[in-house]
Amino acid sequence: MNIRAVRVEDLAGMQDCNLHNLPENYTMKYYLYHALSWPSLSYVAEDHNGRIVGYILAKMEEVDEQEGQPATNHVPHGHVTSISVMRSYRRLGLAKKLMLQSQEAMSSIYRAAFVSLHVRKSNRAALSLYRDTLGFTVKNIEEKYYADGEDAYAMQLTFEH
Amino acid sequence: MAPPTLAQKDKKLFADLLSQYENRQLSKGRKTADQILKKYPEHGETMCMKGLILVHLGQRDEGINLVKEGMRKDLSSHICWHVWALIQKSEHKYEDALKSYIQALKFDKDNFNILRDTAVLQTQTRQFEGLVETRHNLLRLRPYNRHHWVGLAVAYQLNGNLAEAKQVLEYIEGFLRNVGSYDVEFSELLMYHVRILEDMGDFQSAVDMLESHDRAKGGSVLDRMASTEAKARLLAKLKESNADDEQRTAWTERADAAWRWLLSQNADGYEYYKGFLANQGIDLANVTDENREKALEMLRGYFNAQFATAPRRLALHVVTGQEFKDLIKPYLTNAFTKGIPSLFADLKPLYRDSDKRQIIEDIVEEFRATFATSPPSTGDSVEPTTYLWALYLLAQHHSYLGRHKQALKILDIAIAHTPTLPELYMTRARALKRAGDPHGAARAMNDARLLDGQDRFINTKTGKYLLRAGMVNEADAIFSKFTRGGTPAATDLEEMQAMHYLVEQGDSYRRAGKLNLALKKYYVIQKVFESFREDQYEFHQYSVRKTILNVYTEMLKWEDNVRSHPGFIHAAVATVQIWVALYDDATLGLSLQPAETTAPDVSSKKAINKAKKAARKGQPEADGANSKKATATQSEDKGLEPPRLRDDDPEGLKLVLAEDPLERADKYLTGLSELVPQNMDICFAIYDVAIRRKKYLQAVRMLMRAHSLDSEHPDLHSRIAHLRNTVSSLPEPIPAPVGPVLAESIASLLPGEISLELFNSQYLQKHSSSSMAIVAHAKVAQILKAPQDEVDSILFTVLKEPVQLDHEAAFAVLSYLKEMNSSRAEEFRIACNDRFELSTLFRSDEEIAALQRSFTESGESPADGEALETVV
Repeated sequence: MNIRAVRVEDLAGMQDCNLHNLPENYTMKYYLYHALSWPSLSYVAEDHNGRIVGYILAKMEEVDEQEGQPATNHVPHGHVTSISVMRSYRRLGLAKKLMLQSQEAMSSIYRAAFVSLHVRKSNRAALSLYRDTLGFTVKNIEEKYYADGEDAYAMQLTFEH
Repeated sequence: MAPPTLAQKDKKLFADLLSQYENRQLSKGRKTADQILKKYPEHGETMCMKGLILVHLGQRDEGINLVKEGMRKDLSSHICWHVWALIQKSEHKYEDALKSYIQALKFDKDNFNILRDTAVLQTQTRQFEGLVETRHNLLRLRPYNRHHWVGLAVAYQLNGNLAEAKQVLEYIEGFLRNVGSYDVEFSELLMYHVRILEDMGDFQSAVDMLESHDRAKGGSVLDRMASTEAKARLLAKLKESNADDEQRTAWTERADAAWRWLLSQNADGYEYYKGFLANQGIDLANVTDENREKALEMLRGYFNAQFATAPRRLALHVVTGQEFKDLIKPYLTNAFTKGIPSLFADLKPLYRDSDKRQIIEDIVEEFRATFATSPPSTGDSVEPTTYLWALYLLAQHHSYLGRHKQALKILDIAIAHTPTLPELYMTRARALKRAGDPHGAARAMNDARLLDGQDRFINTKTGKYLLRAGMVNEADAIFSKFTRGGTPAATDLEEMQAMHYLVEQGDSYRRAGKLNLALKKYYVIQKVFESFREDQYEFHQYSVRKTILNVYTEMLKWEDNVRSHPGFIHAAVATVQIWVALYDDATLGLSLQPAETTAPDVSSKKAINKAKKAARKGQPEADGANSKKATATQSEDKGLEPPRLRDDDPEGLKLVLAEDPLERADKYLTGLSELVPQNMDICFAIYDVAIRRKKYLQAVRMLMRAHSLDSEHPDLHSRIAHLRNTVSSLPEPIPAPVGPVLAESIASLLPGEISLELFNSQYLQKHSSSSMAIVAHAKVAQILKAPQDEVDSILFTVLKEPVQLDHEAAFAVLSYLKEMNSSRAEEFRIACNDRFELSTLFRSDEEIAALQRSFTESGESPADGEALETVV
């Protein structure tokens, strides 16, 4: 499958992919917000017909200018808002490829120190991908993070610069 | 009458009012306004401000009336116009709001806030000439703020003044030169500048600019992927322009280095391979015998790139014959061993070459035979799961090629081998669907779902398959396992803009004849696309401030074309067809009304409950982009946006009685003729509405366009006959200038000397083996008032040799017979039922009802539905 940076015209396909795969969904504006703020961090996997079969939607958590936090308090880091691959396109390593592209962009363009994400406690497949394949570690457990009351692991991966 | 002038101390009071509004001290503001109005009851500006405050306090109607009254008292006040503009804006009447802002500027031309809002509205409404002027004014007022320079550059670009945009950018870069070397916004600005140079056709300067800011040499462009892509693309364009050989060689070398770097970063980027090969003169889509070897060699260079699958897959596309055999074997074996479910989808495009298709089939069959005759009891070569994935591929292969029985037989073997793999049931579902058995398909998909209740993908597919089988309630129950608790699945899926769901749901209602409910869904789709159009609004300022401009200007283009989305086109065509049906048969809308009985009507009760629930839900959740703002909604401020009205027609029962069906159909089609001029369905939809609205020129224009796209299309054939028949049966000829033009246009489609009878029989002769052509022929016979038994006989010929009839076309014929109330519909149904033995489409109504019941009664396994809750 073709891996490439997101384009605005992919967002509807990305939204469709997300709605097929995950219970956490977003309206178009949220996708636009990501693409228009950090155009190089989100990636898609598309099949031979140009259908989006996997995506990573990512952002930067930057120093909040309005709240004027001292920079030492808050190092810029990336955050994965959502990542998923359609069931019929699994076992191709797409999630990993998408993640690596996004991480590279976070680190090289935005000088991110690390990347964070949340994963459902019950999602063993994803947990194993993040921890065993990609090297994330569990930072803490966020209780009742999801709308249905499930806990999340908050995970992080530090970049080596 | 001039508005009253306030005394000095009252002027101060009015200033307080303004700042109280600014700070959202609404109750205080209202008191201040009342204080002023007590003394000056005719003071328009105060009336407007009070009205605005009332709107914020939730007294919308009263507030708006007061604003209107205040406006009448003082039409020369920029405050009054500004207030009015804010209200129009809150109702998304952007064109009107813009006019009010322009009025306000007449009386206060340097008002910064008004100018800023004007610029946003001019962008939203694409009035770029005015935007340039507004941006100039903003810049004049705040020349030291670089965002206003950026805003001017963008305005110039949008208005097509690229040279001016470039000049402004050069100026900005001049005074930004001493920002730190590491600045994302500056980097984005440079990339925007490069894009403008590219759009101007100045590829050389664009490349020079990229190289002088190359990050590898300490430059300021931070996004190396985007900049290298741009460079490679620009070098290709340079090569296309005239240049001497030496120059071209140099460019080729530089482009080669760029593509190689990109591939080193992402060896699964198909576009990179395409560019890499194109740079060496090889068109990946059309590899020739001359360059095949070289193409393969270049791809081979990446075969061992870490994790990359693209080069091996592309090689399969490039090579032929023995070389293909050599490469496909390990490709298949690897996929079988790993159990890659997408293998068939991956290979399918290769089937365009029938040799390759056959090779794949032979290899997999051979593989299967080896295993079947010598099970690996010795444990040497083939693993059982490998065998399983080979069967899985083979089943998909046969199903795709229409060999339904063969596919299903293989799936039976595979499922007997491993009864726990959901993919096998999903494939069975698809095979049954293709064979025309939507009921069995839904059941098979549900079997897959029962094996993995936690997977939303299978859940969604199950819901969709149930909708295809006409089981709306069952589908809802399935969908709701993954939608937000407490609300009906439909509400959540609509809010989340789930296009796949909305389309399927609408179609399902339509197939069931519930046109009212179908229309409701299709109108939700329209609403979703309206909200996509709204979404751009706040980015006009945001993106300029952030200086992230390439993606922003792409977004504007996307917004302009967003309704060319297949989901929208589908909904538009379906909606128009329903409105046309309602227009053609005035009793249809009435027949959809629930029968009036003394017993309480269950369905409408349900609907009322549903509507109540929906109304209770209130505002949607904050949508991330402005979640911070949303926390303030607890206060007395209800905002400016009108509250969402409760839907007083949740089932669309009033809607289908609308008196202006054609106007509504026309409205749904607005702009589509220009947006998707190549779409025949849209041509036909526009024709169907136009001809009924007696807009003959528009009607004929659409048929001429369709004619240029596919002159033999069956739906065109029947419409050409319909057009000529309609025009020639008019009681009075159409006067000039329309009449003669129309006659000439019709003659260009169908020469006047050819009778409709001849036209129709010639068409049939030409396409005697096409079932849909036969349907078109029958439709024209019907237009020509042929007796029903003659029309029936025509349609029955689809059952005879040499007509190619699949179950879909047969179903279309059956539906047409039923639509005409033909006495032979049942006979046709039974003939098809015998003929398409796997299909359930042609079962009797009772049998279909029994099939649907059996799904519900078979129930779900006791563990089902708990899958989500039991995991911790």
